[in-house]
Amino acid sequence: MDYSGHGLIAPPRELATAPLAPTVLVVEDDPALRTLLIRLLREEGFQPLSARHGAEMARVLETNTVDLILLDLMLPGSNGFDLCRAIRRDSDVPIVMLSARDDETDRLIGLELGADDYIGKPFSKKELIARIRAILRRTQNGSQSNQPRGHQQMTFAGWSLDPGRRELLSPDGAFVELSGAEFDLLLAFVSAPQRVIGRERLLEMSRARFSDASDRSIDVLVSRLRRKLAVSGQAEALLRTVRGVGYIFTAAVERR
Amino acid sequence: MKPWRLWPQRLVSQVTLVLMLAVALEFIGSSILFENSRLYPNRDNQVRRAAEQLVTAEMILEAAPAHERAAQAAVISNRATELSWSALPSLVDPERLAERDLKTRFRDAEPSLRGRDLRLQAETDRALPRDTHLKAALRLRDGSWLTLKTKIRAAPWAVLLSSVGSAFILGLGVIAAAALVLRNLSRPLRALAEAADKVGKGAHVRIAESGARDLKLLAEAFNAMQDRIASLLRARTEALAAVGHDLRTPLARLRLRAGFVKDTDAREALEADVDEMTAMLDSLLAYLGGQEDPEPRRRTDLAAIAMTVVDDAADAERSATYAGLDHLPVQARPVSLKRAISNVVENALHYGGAAALSLTREGDTAVVAVEDNGPGIPEADLAEVLLPFHRLDSARARNTAGLGLGLTIVQQILRREGGVLVLKNRPEGGLRVELRLPAL
Repeated sequence: MDYSGHGLIAPPRELATAPLAPTVLVVEDDPALRTLLIRLLREEGFQPLSARHGAEMARVLETNTVDLILLDLMLPGSNGFDLCRAIRRDSDVPIVMLSARDDETDRLIGLELGADDYIGKPFSKKELIARIRAILRRTQNGSQSNQPRGHQQMTFAGWSLDPGRRELLSPDGAFVELSGAEFDLLLAFVSAPQRVIGRERLLEMSRARFSDASDRSIDVLVSRLRRKLAVSGQAEALLRTVRGVGYIFTAAVERR
Repeated sequence: MKPWRLWPQRLVSQVTLVLMLAVALEFIGSSILFENSRLYPNRDNQVRRAAEQLVTAEMILEAAPAHERAAQAAVISNRATELSWSALPSLVDPERLAERDLKTRFRDAEPSLRGRDLRLQAETDRALPRDTHLKAALRLRDGSWLTLKTKIRAAPWAVLLSSVGSAFILGLGVIAAAALVLRNLSRPLRALAEAADKVGKGAHVRIAESGARDLKLLAEAFNAMQDRIASLLRARTEALAAVGHDLRTPLARLRLRAGFVKDTDAREALEADVDEMTAMLDSLLAYLGGQEDPEPRRRTDLAAIAMTVVDDAADAERSATYAGLDHLPVQARPVSLKRAISNVVENALHYGGAAALSLTREGDTAVVAVEDNGPGIPEADLAEVLLPFHRLDSARARNTAGLGLGLTIVQQILRREGGVLVLKNRPEGGLRVELRLPAL
């Protein structure tokens, strides 16, 4: 088997059992890590491709349809940010950035450039696969309208939500820290304002990002979100419980 | 500062020159003072002059006809001495001891007054007791009287002090002037001392390379030394940080490989080891990168960060609680702040088994307090735990994750945000850690 990194296409051994296996392109210069990632992806039922650097990546993209790119930030020759920007110029393919710098600034730049996720090294197999699956689910379900990409800012009751930077600002302009699940839950509410959303649907949406989330119920997440959104009695009104069904986000949402 | 050519370059020469100038100034000054003191007339001279005036006036009035004498007397009067003429004596000779002595001195000064009817009266000035009002009446040959009124002034204070006092005052003045000049000369030395103190506390201070030649050399050497230390530190830090980043790739491989281990126990142990190494790397990089954190400061809700940290711990089934404000804006770097709070909560969970976090506002200060029920920290060690690489349980079996940088990083982060870290043992047991920040 060719794990040395020269093979652009890993043998599609499981093609027969999984004809619709999503293709994942690994762009990583470290040979051993690349090999591991390919092996891991194959075991998890993906169809892996690999590239050592930007030029090779471009060649692979010319001849293959790729469902997701795992992009290392530190590559010889070109920087992951430049590659990300280059891909985004003519493709919407989901990008997950891998970085040895677990740095908030890098994470923000990556997300702003259009990456769908950013994972700091070292990451566990479980975490990586969960994130890849979540992104693929998001993009393949055609639910992109629900999870707006890019920099479309949303405002409600003085609050503003930036899905690109994954940031929430309070009415007085303060940055309000949200956990990943809280952010996804809020995004789910804001994407379907003034509509009743069932618990199961919310659970699915908020777990899209971290499927290894503990068994915390959606109610706990909602109560945490309520507390962070609390502004002198307004919070209860923002997230109203619909008994036996789920919740409704009451405020009007404006997109900019 | 461009010193003029005659000004010597070395500190010793400058001090010598200042001292020489001071001595010369003192010499010249005291000479002038003594010379001046001779110009001031003393009492004897004034009495003698009064006697002379009296005799001269007599000669003028004797030559004038009787009806012009009063007018003549007025003409020869001046501001200091008033002369008058009258037919009757204007004063009775009191014949006190003072007048008798005065009369002798008048007659000694003008021997022609001997045997003449001369009446004198001396009265001390009420306002200036050192001055004396002198009245002298002389009987002319025709029996009329010539009267002279004048004031005998006391010698000025400068004259009285001239022998000792003036020299003393002049000396003081010269010493003060010399001290001022020397103080100026040593300013670069004091600046250097202050700079050295600041550098010791970790600041980079560039001191002005000015002043005497030897001081200038010292300042140059000091600045160069600082640059060398800074670049040495930077190089070491960069090397360490680079190693830290580079270690992440092999760690990533290790972690992924662990996923392929079939033995569940072995896999979990491997993953825990990788997690521990990752945590150490993270804290090392946070410590090293603390000085030039690129994260911008922004308006940040401290409450949301504190809640997130507590919720994360609670989700990991650890005993962490949050109580306090729903919102509290501060100006800070949110990621750093989260790391600080998270470090403190981790410590509480590790040493105390539970973390009770509260957020309050005390005037202009936001206070995040984390309390635990652990053993606390011996009072003597309270300051030491903030030192880098210090571990409380270093003497015991090494069972702690991390490098002993946790609280050091917290303190570093708080300082950068203008806050302080306070550690206190609770009277009821356990530790209370306060993160105090300026609130908005």
